[in-house]
Amino acid sequence: MSKATDALSAALVAEHAAIYGYGVLGAHLSGAALAQAQQAEAAHRTRRDDLLVRLTTAGVRPPAAAVAYALPFPVTDAPSALRLAVRLEERTAAIWRVALGPTSGGDRKVALTALVDGALRAARWRRASGSQPGTVPLP
Amino acid sequence: MVFTVPVKTRRAVLASAVGAGAGLVVSGCWGRGAPAPPKPNPLAPALAGALALVDRYQATVAAYPDLAERLQPLLADHQAHVDALRRAMGTPSPTASPSAGGSAAPGVADDPAAAVVALRAAEQAGQADASTACLAAAAEHAALLGSIAACRATHVEVLT
Repeated sequence: MSKATDALSAALVAEHAAIYGYGVLGAHLSGAALAQAQQAEAAHRTRRDDLLVRLTTAGVRPPAAAVAYALPFPVTDAPSALRLAVRLEERTAAIWRVALGPTSGGDRKVALTALVDGALRAARWRRASGSQPGTVPLP
Repeated sequence: MVFTVPVKTRRAVLASAVGAGAGLVVSGCWGRGAPAPPKPNPLAPALAGALALVDRYQATVAAYPDLAERLQPLLADHQAHVDALRRAMGTPSPTASPSAGGSAAPGVADDPAAAVVALRAAEQAGQADASTACLAAAAEHAALLGSIAACRATHVEVLT
């Protein structure tokens, strides 16, 4: 295990958790917000699958998904579902941000794309929660 | 005869010693000596880019005060980038406006809608620049440059 594959493994753990979280919060959303959650979950699944290949190719055993993940707060309605969506994207983006340092080349490019995508989704969820413009200086 | 050879040799040695000494002096002047310009900080281009975006937003808000409410949060993000880059560079913030010593104030479009379009284009270019810098950066600067790229991407979306 190198520092780069450690960072990618941490990102995979975060992606597993994000996929789980979207499964929970999607049940409380409808309409455009539900579609947004489904798109986000699909994006995290794609990222997860890419990481599985990347780590296996590097000779590293990828961390498996847990059966369940502890949520930071109870998700009982649409507002709390939106709050969790923001939190999931912020957390996942932060772990991809950390992965930028130890990685290089193609791996760093993947980490940067994942960070940018996560920042975009977090900002969209903040706007969906009523916060304008929903950007932060250092996602 | 007995002495000429050592004398010539000694001269040669002296000459080469002087040459070497001169070489040291020269390399001292142009290499590590004080007169040589300091090596540019690797984050200097990123700082210049962040300052240019601050300038552009300030000029746009000055020309179209009605846009201030919409643009102020984005301008604040760019000012935070300037601060974060300066901290990473170990450069103290100047007390004057952040544009002091920066590029000339950019022109602002003739109507507010076109001005917003121009800001969006500047954000897109800025995102591309920060992404390129992130991918080429040393490990210790990659995260900051990546975050700046990601922030600019969110601005592009807000201005669309």
